[in-house]
Amino acid sequence: MKLLFHTISRTALIWAVLVVMTTITTYAQDPRLRLAHLDYLATKASETVDVNIDERLIQLAAKVFNDKDDDEAQIKKLVIGLKGIYVKSFEFENENDYSSADVDSIRSQLREPAWSRLLNVTSKREGIVEVYVALNGAEVVGLAVLSAEPKELTVVNIIGPVDLEKLAKLEGNLGIPDLGIHSNKHKTKNEQ
Amino acid sequence: MKRSTTKKLVIALLALTLWSTISFAKGDDFNSVVKMIEEFYNVKHEGLPFLAKAAMKAVGVGAKIKGGEAKRYAEAGSIKLATFENQEFNGDLLKFRQMLNDSLTQSWTPLVQTLAAQEREQTYIFVRENGDKFKVLLVTIEQHDATVVQATVSAKNLALLMKDPEEGAKAITQEATIVDHE
Repeated sequence: MKLLFHTISRTALIWAVLVVMTTITTYAQDPRLRLAHLDYLATKASETVDVNIDERLIQLAAKVFNDKDDDEAQIKKLVIGLKGIYVKSFEFENENDYSSADVDSIRSQLREPAWSRLLNVTSKREGIVEVYVALNGAEVVGLAVLSAEPKELTVVNIIGPVDLEKLAKLEGNLGIPDLGIHSNKHKTKNEQ
Repeated sequence: MKRSTTKKLVIALLALTLWSTISFAKGDDFNSVVKMIEEFYNVKHEGLPFLAKAAMKAVGVGAKIKGGEAKRYAEAGSIKLATFENQEFNGDLLKFRQMLNDSLTQSWTPLVQTLAAQEREQTYIFVRENGDKFKVLLVTIEQHDATVVQATVSAKNLALLMKDPEEGAKAITQEATIVDHE
């Protein structure tokens, strides 16, 4: 009886470990954030922008970026391999039109081990900018930017091999807003 | 015998034409979006059936009048346009967006959507493959006016639209509506 109990416990433990490992792997492989729950903010926001560019559309865009134009050639190089670009951005008339719970609902999806925080800038005046990367082993499989200013909330979610430098170069293209990632990188020391 | 064969052929052709018209109407999301707007906001669109053929020609004329080379996004003859003018577009923005997305996202990719709740402005850009080209469906709703445009664009122009969706959408809508102002 004891042996049976021991065997069952061990099997259950192995299954539990397998389930956890599968979940972790699944999260790491699919770093797409769930953002639909923020849609209710559209009624409060003075402007809402939703961008959805899937892999097919990205690769299509990559094909037609002009190799002779330095900027376009650089963007082309950056977007090759990306699997999706998703942006949700809300601009508000007043401060506190969105809540910390809204920010937390995104942050809660950006937890370890699937995600690692790469950058964190907090400024009383300008709010927060957090940049996260999703790793699958040593490979970056996604990136997320959470920018919460007093009157603006923006989430950028890029799926595929992308880093901070790439993100900075992609700003202002393919629906990715200008987040000032380059300048923030330098601001970290002063404002954090 | 010959007369009978001709008659059969005509009937078959008519049946085929009718069938293809019905099939097209069934799968025509442009019409269903126009109808959806009419029903949701209790408004009526203005029928401009000649536009599909005239639009591209008019764009060229419009460009000449302006004295410049207007950027053309849509393929010649591919534009479908429905306009709603001087009507009230009062309604739940989110409910409408949900309804629109529910009806289109199985066959279209929602590329960009913008909402401005206070100004009651909504813009939707949907895309889908159409052979080696792409179909773009643009829906713009403001307080008193709305426009629905469907056009076929080349891969290159779709990429341009993705690079700057706001400007691209404006240009396509302008291409479609320019004839209306002439």
